[in-house]
Amino acid sequence: MANKHVNVIIVGAGAGGGVIAKELAVNGLSVILFERGEWPVYDKNANDELISQRIQELGNAFGPDWKRNPRVLISPDGKRTTITPANGGYNHNAACVGSGTVSYGGMAWRFMPEDFKLKSIYGHVEGSSLEDWPVTYDDLEPYYEKAEWEIGVSGDETNPFAGPRNRPYPMPAFEYNREARHLSETCKKMGLHPFPIPMLRNSIPYNGRPRCIRNRTCVGFACPVDAKNGTQNTVIPVAMKTGNCEVKTGCMVANIIIDEKGRARGVEYFDSKGNGKTQTADMVVVAGAATETARLLLNSKSKLHPNGAGNNNDWVGRNLQGHVYTGATGLFDFDILDLTGPGATMAICDFNHHNPGLVGGGMLCTEFFQLPYAFTGNRPSGSARWGKEHKDYQRKYYYRSARLHGPVQEIPNFDSRITVDPTVKDYWGIPVAAMSGGRHPLDRDNCIFLSSKAVEILKEAGAVQVWPRGIPGKVSYSPSGGQHQAGTCRMGNDPKTSVVNPFGQIHEIENLFVADGSVLVTNGGFNPVLTIMAIAYRTGEYIVKNFNSIKSS
Amino acid sequence: MQYNRRNFLKHLGFIYGSLLLYSSCNGNQKSGYRIFTKEEASCLIALCEQIIPADEDPGATDAGVINFIDKQTTLRFPDDEAIFKNGIVALQAFCKEKHNCLFEQLSSVEQVSIMKDMERNKLPGEYWQKANQASFFNLVLRRTMQGFYGSPRHGGNKDYVSYRMMKLDYPLLIGQNRYKDGK
Ligand SMILES: Cc1cc2nc3c(=O)[nH]c(=O)nc-3n(C[C@H](O)[C@H](O)[C@H](O)COP(=O)(O)OP(=O)(O)OC[C@H]3O[C@@H](n4cnc5c(N)ncnc54)[C@H](O)[C@@H]3O)c2cc1C
Ligand code: SF4
Repeated sequence: MANKHVNVIIVGAGAGGGVIAKELAVNGLSVILFERGEWPVYDKNANDELISQRIQELGNAFGPDWKRNPRVLISPDGKRTTITPANGGYNHNAACVGSGTVSYGGMAWRFMPEDFKLKSIYGHVEGSSLEDWPVTYDDLEPYYEKAEWEIGVSGDETNPFAGPRNRPYPMPAFEYNREARHLSETCKKMGLHPFPIPMLRNSIPYNGRPRCIRNRTCVGFACPVDAKNGTQNTVIPVAMKTGNCEVKTGCMVANIIIDEKGRARGVEYFDSKGNGKTQTADMVVVAGAATETARLLLNSKSKLHPNGAGNNNDWVGRNLQGHVYTGATGLFDFDILDLTGPGATMAICDFNHHNPGLVGGGMLCTEFFQLPYAFTGNRPSGSARWGKEHKDYQRKYYYRSARLHGPVQEIPNFDSRITVDPTVKDYWGIPVAAMSGGRHPLDRDNCIFLSSKAVEILKEAGAVQVWPRGIPGKVSYSPSGGQHQAGTCRMGNDPKTSVVNPFGQIHEIENLFVADGSVLVTNGGFNPVLTIMAIAYRTGEYIVKNFNSIKSS
Repeated sequence: MQYNRRNFLKHLGFIYGSLLLYSSCNGNQKSGYRIFTKEEASCLIALCEQIIPADEDPGATDAGVINFIDKQTTLRFPDDEAIFKNGIVALQAFCKEKHNCLFEQLSSVEQVSIMKDMERNKLPGEYWQKANQASFFNLVLRRTMQGFYGSPRHGGNKDYVSYRMMKLDYPLLIGQNRYKDGK
């Protein structure tokens, strides 16, 4: 039996897809939300570091399935290696209802006004595809606010570098833990401007769910008391309650059907039993995250779009970005950690922009707690990896080591990209994503600068030993991406040099939209999720307003 | 994730296939391990115990690291089996020829010095035709750390030894109000 036709199909129930589903469903549009993963279950891997979304040594708690979802990594010499989520370089986030928003750390950053106009501020950068956004911070401000109130963010207004806001956060900021109390005093003494990290976690009961109990297994895990706010426990349930939104889990969308006239008609997908099916709709929104969204568009070939949907200009999959993380670790001769979760509580934005001689910069913050296995990798280089010395280090420094680090604003380049592999297929027989290219050399300069600042602060804070971390080699030939993947369907006004317009609409296909990290022009010096959500709110509003005209055109 | 029938059968065949293979040709059903013979296990235990030696806190042996490796290699990393086995053969061949005894019979000082060489690919190459010594060492190291510090549900970290050593309260407090299917 054929599936019932609906108004809108959304592919991917993560950050962007969840928000869009809610916006459309509460406004009366019938929606099917496809998700290849399942609903997350807290108890399945509770407190299990080796099957968390961060470590993944024995499996990833929230998908995707190792065996079914290979990808290909292309090295600079053209060699292709088939990899799984167990390998480095997979560009992995998650695959379940909520996706990364189930297991994320929940940092809720608004990008800074500067982040939307890097080219105007810094000029053309050789070897890069650096560009201004077609929208400004002020355009996005109301949608940031919506994300903060509907999904739920705790924070205050003490960051002097933040863009202006019209409404305070809905919940008060989290209190610092011991490490942040100590380091914030140091920062203040140094003339820097520490503040509590805004978080998608409940500092007070909110939205019918309790407040955070501040345990140490937060990032990488689901929350044991459901105090962490993702799309799976906020907007998606709201969408479902309207009766207009059906969430179809375990369904892998294989391609978008584009007809002879160049309009999207629906999707072909495999249901949870592996049966191939078709779902038609008036409109399709793709929100599979930067890697899978590009793959899906590239796999959707049609007469007018022989190289993939929206890809007549060869821009789909380009400008893949993520975040190089850099910073420093310090060892102290007193206990600096008190394990008040989730660890990261304090940040500074003094180095996000206006650093002499640099393009961009990045935020620095304290780190989420490392569990015992992750801590075995937290060593100055050259120290013993095993034996009694290893054990002594674990015992002596677990509570005496602090880290300041942050995501560096990456300089996008045209060759860091997703393509579709000509031979390797996944479990369902769909051609897989291939990652290639490398990072721009300027990322290294930013890392050297930012980590030197982290070193200075930790030394000033009294660390007895400090070492920098996360500085890429001179030539960094591995494509970026990872948990903060973005950029592969760039938003822009010019159809020649972008994939979607400022509302996420594919330039050449009026009823096909993208609403996830792919549309970000640049990725900010911050974790991207709140920006992805804000853009999805804006795209959702646009779709609701224009649904009838797009449908009948 | 649900398995479809074909995949499920393939999966089962995979696991049982390797079990059957070894229990029939190596006769190790008496060793008490899934894939290792008693001899292989003693060598591996000695290696793991040097990686995390017992002192005032328990070491790898007491934490059941060998059980972890045996179990996880069977369940999740079947390709590692050959690396372990070939590595053990190479190491023992070297020890027999050079020291006239097995690795686990050497003094602790000798064991450590051999392992330091192995870590840096410095043991004589003629024994390591079928195995790369540094890769073997790194695999043993990585799995030992996982077995010692990971959750006890995977077969190691018996009685939460490593958590206790690091003064972590476990198991953690678990609250109410978990979510299920978006409700
Ligand atoms: C451990 C961890 C910590 C993080 N911490 C933070 C943080 O503190 N702050 C922050 O801002 N960000 C954080 N992130 C990143 C954040 O989660 C992502 O930026 C965000 O989820 C990306 O949103 P998205 O909509 O682009 O894609 P996703 O949220 O990944 O959603 C994509 C969904 O689409 C599904 N999908 C893809 N293709 C298909 C298909 N063909 N058919 C069906 N379904 C499909 C996927 O399974 C997935 O569920 C973290 C991520 C992780 C994993
Ligand atoms: S710190 Fe713990 S209680 Fe708080 S949101 Fe994270 S997982 Fe939940």
